[in-house]
Amino acid sequence: MKNFLFLLIVFLLNQQNSFALFSQDREIKIYKNIRCLACQGQSLNDSNSDFANDLKKVIKEKLNNNETDQEIYTYLTARYGDWILFDPPVKKSTLLLWFFPVFILVIGIFILYKRTVFEKSKLS
Amino acid sequence: MNSKIKFAGIFFLFISFFIVFYYALKSDTKNNTQIMVGTRLPNIQLSSLFNPIQKISLPSSEKENFYLINIWSSWCVPCRDEHPFLVKLKNEHQIKIFGINYKDKTSNALDFLTKLGNPFYYVGVDSDGSKSIEIGGYGVPETYVINAEGIIVFKHVGPINSTTFEKIVATIK
Repeated sequence: MKNFLFLLIVFLLNQQNSFALFSQDREIKIYKNIRCLACQGQSLNDSNSDFANDLKKVIKEKLNNNETDQEIYTYLTARYGDWILFDPPVKKSTLLLWFFPVFILVIGIFILYKRTVFEKSKLS
Repeated sequence: MNSKIKFAGIFFLFISFFIVFYYALKSDTKNNTQIMVGTRLPNIQLSSLFNPIQKISLPSSEKENFYLINIWSSWCVPCRDEHPFLVKLKNEHQIKIFGINYKDKTSNALDFLTKLGNPFYYVGVDSDGSKSIEIGGYGVPETYVINAEGIIVFKHVGPINSTTFEKIVATIK
């Protein structure tokens, strides 16, 4: 029984640690996707400027309030525009940017497939 | 026939790349500080620099045609440069200016106003920078012109100079 209790406590503590690590990972992932507007080409994660530290505090508070990543990004883009995000959101003006590479990939696969079929038919 | 299809494919790809790069070159990749102009000022609550118990909410509920919000700090050198313009706006154009004192020591902020004059109708405290972030601020100094409906009609990042002063005057006329 004692051993079981000991194992249970170790298990619960470990779970708590994983949760803490998960939330820290999420926080860093968000910081890495946000451009520090007061610095040159740095993300929020890399910057220690006043602006970056203020934003980090605001984001941390929003994470503690259980806001989703999307809600945080919407809050920031409403105030600072899409430029604040390193990953541009999918919308009308960025459709080409997001889907053109996929389109090129599909064409590439199609050409490859055609060639393989052609080579096979030639061999047979 | 096959070579014609190949030629059409290459031509199509070339045109597609041209369009993508052309629009990429033309697109505005710079930071646009004017995103919030034309939108309603987000609600913020400030406590007074002079009396922390006294609180106000912005957008102001007072019936003003226009009022100004200025983010400033005593440690910010450009804020000292723009201060005479704020005094002039208050004295010559009777506009209400709500100051947001950004990450400052109370004693230094009070000293700043005693020495350079107080053009502010109300000075609220933003001790951790969160109020400035809420209204889309980048730092100090920064000035917003708000209309009676609480809409941001003008925003300037940086110190007010004579050109900005004229623009503000033209906006509030």
